[in-house]
Amino acid sequence: MKYRFSRKHLAIPYALFLLVFVVLPLIVIVYYAFTGNDGKPTADNLLNFFGDPNTLGTLLYSFILALVTTCVCLLIAYPVAYALAFSGLKSKSVLVMLFIMPMWINFTLRLTALKEILTLIEGNLAFHPFLNSVVGMTYDFLPFMILPIYNQLDRLDKSLIEAATDLGADKVKCFTRITLPLSMPGVISGVAMVFLPAMTNYVVLDMLYNSTYIMGSLIGSYFSAYDWHGGSMISLILLALICIFTLLTRDNESSDVRGGSLI
Amino acid sequence: MKKNSLFVMGLLLASCLGMTACGNEEESTDGIVLKVCNWEEYMDLGDWDEEETIDLDSGDIIGVNPLYEDFEEWYYENYGVKVKVEYSCFGTNEELYNMLTLGDEFDLVCPSEYMIMKLMAEDWLVPFSDGFHDTDNELNYYVRNVSPFIKEKFDEHEINSESWSKYAAGYMWGVTGILYNPDELEEEQVNSWECLRDPGLYRKITIKDNVRDSYFPAVAAIKRDKLTDGSFTGAEDYAQQLEKEMNDTSAETVAEALDFLQDTKDVAYSFETDSGKADMVTGKVLANLQWSGDAVYAMDQAEEDDMYLAYSVPEECTNLWFDGWVMLERGVGNDPAKQAAAEAFVNYVSRPDNAVRNMYYIGYTSSIAGGTDGDEVFEYVDWTYGAEEDEEDISEYDLSWFFGDDEAVIDAPTEQLTRQLFAQYPPEDVMERSSIMQYFDAEANARINRMWINVRCYNINKMPIYGWCMIGVLVITAAGVFIFSRRKKNYDLTA
Repeated sequence: MKYRFSRKHLAIPYALFLLVFVVLPLIVIVYYAFTGNDGKPTADNLLNFFGDPNTLGTLLYSFILALVTTCVCLLIAYPVAYALAFSGLKSKSVLVMLFIMPMWINFTLRLTALKEILTLIEGNLAFHPFLNSVVGMTYDFLPFMILPIYNQLDRLDKSLIEAATDLGADKVKCFTRITLPLSMPGVISGVAMVFLPAMTNYVVLDMLYNSTYIMGSLIGSYFSAYDWHGGSMISLILLALICIFTLLTRDNESSDVRGGSLI
Repeated sequence: MKKNSLFVMGLLLASCLGMTACGNEEESTDGIVLKVCNWEEYMDLGDWDEEETIDLDSGDIIGVNPLYEDFEEWYYENYGVKVKVEYSCFGTNEELYNMLTLGDEFDLVCPSEYMIMKLMAEDWLVPFSDGFHDTDNELNYYVRNVSPFIKEKFDEHEINSESWSKYAAGYMWGVTGILYNPDELEEEQVNSWECLRDPGLYRKITIKDNVRDSYFPAVAAIKRDKLTDGSFTGAEDYAQQLEKEMNDTSAETVAEALDFLQDTKDVAYSFETDSGKADMVTGKVLANLQWSGDAVYAMDQAEEDDMYLAYSVPEECTNLWFDGWVMLERGVGNDPAKQAAAEAFVNYVSRPDNAVRNMYYIGYTSSIAGGTDGDEVFEYVDWTYGAEEDEEDISEYDLSWFFGDDEAVIDAPTEQLTRQLFAQYPPEDVMERSSIMQYFDAEANARINRMWINVRCYNINKMPIYGWCMIGVLVITAAGVFIFSRRKKNYDLTA
């Protein structure tokens, strides 16, 4: 048979990558999560997680930390993105660049600098571990929130706003009925890009001296204690949470598309 | 994702290149290839400046080439066999162990005492040959020059009724203690492990972020009354009893340690792995649980900024640790030529002048005392810490317990009695209350690891009621917003 190159063959490298580095490890994780030290299948790891006030507390702590970080990021990022998108400046891309630039510097380096700045402000870093973690995470993830919102707002058809104004909507109504709903896809992808990493990025906590574990460090501590089974189960639970989150937001996004196409 | 895949491909490519490079090397040497794996920054890699030369009475010492390269030359000269050392590094004992279980092959490695015990118990190791212990052989620098103190410790500790000496040769050693800032704190404030939860040091003290280094002081503090009692310290078998108490892993002790470490977490500035030294020097913290070798390093660093730190060993006891060379069955087993090279390597790094090179480069204390083949180690200590002629406040500092020589006494500036000299070679009375931390069995290990995770986690039962109320409000609001937005969408659609 004659070999014919078609477009789908382009996907082969990625498919291989997916198989070796995503699917196989996932199978290993699932295997470990549902077996005990003796290699026999068991659901003990799952029950242990939900039966232990310490692991549940860690889940809650990471959730709240991520939630607060996301809210702070959103509160800062939305006005900035809005101002950028609607400014009459011709050199908008330069401004956007200014916000992305910090991402070019290695983030542990940035955190080391932040540590000194916070010490200067607070006197002693260790007094406010939670606050420091939120500041550090916000510092780290802010560009990931600004960019998608900015892109969404920038693409927004400005004539819709003009139309609304012509039809008598005031500025507030114009924002709540047109701009905000149409920018939601950007907000949602921003939230996804901040919230999920914020639940596991324990390097920030380590570097800013918050000695309470979050999900990432908890998994690490299980592994360093040679408890592959418990650690895998926690990874799996985290994965499940991410799936639920994605499903919920995808629902929203698709209805947004429908809403958008109607207009 | 794209970035990731590029990165992974890059790694693959790099490892392929690395492999071919190794392959070529092996072809080009017709001698032995000795695979040595050591801690990072744990052997002199040479390249010293001219002015760094250590001018001792016995002669100048300077590191030009990495020590393991000098060994290749030395081995060829003395044994007439070509050897190529493949030198690599590991980061933690656990990492080394994982590397071994994943099938990496090494001939000679240098883990800490508890990992040596584990490797011994699990039959990973090859004993040193009889020739290695022969003190008449002039090339057996290790047995001829090792400190009698270290030798005794290695002889008297056993795993499965075989002494450590049979399998391991000491490299570096040290104790744990508290590095503190004497301008702000009195020695009395930090001379008990209780200081780790002392509210007087609120957010001013750091502790190690690793379970073994934290469990030890916790046990010492819990048993403080017993350990400092005269009838306990005065007992004939004090050393054995102390070691027994300090290696207590019973459920009750672990539970008490949990309480202690939770208090510590509420008081301490942080749990750190490496940042403690820098935070001491910059003045962020005033006290720091520290290994003696790193304490020396931190004190040296601080002195460059005209800041003088001090080191204290709490009165309950201190954790004596060793790193030692062991040969692996998988590497040197059934290969006498390789084993001979591995043993010669241990001897070469134990030659007193090489021990000094390592001590200067690493800053830790070598197990080698010298004497038989040169006094470089003692001369180096005197060279580093001995008082200048015009010094006024001088004290005699007795090191005979380590060097096994009654004349091993240094005239040192009195201030050194709480500084680097004290940290590098603690006095005999401190060493008497030192205890080695054993390797724990699987059950005890699991218990202690669990305890450590519990210390670090936020316990949901501790959450106050208003916390639950806030979460309730939050959940209801979120649900409300979600449902509302759905409704609105439907309305939009029908409109």
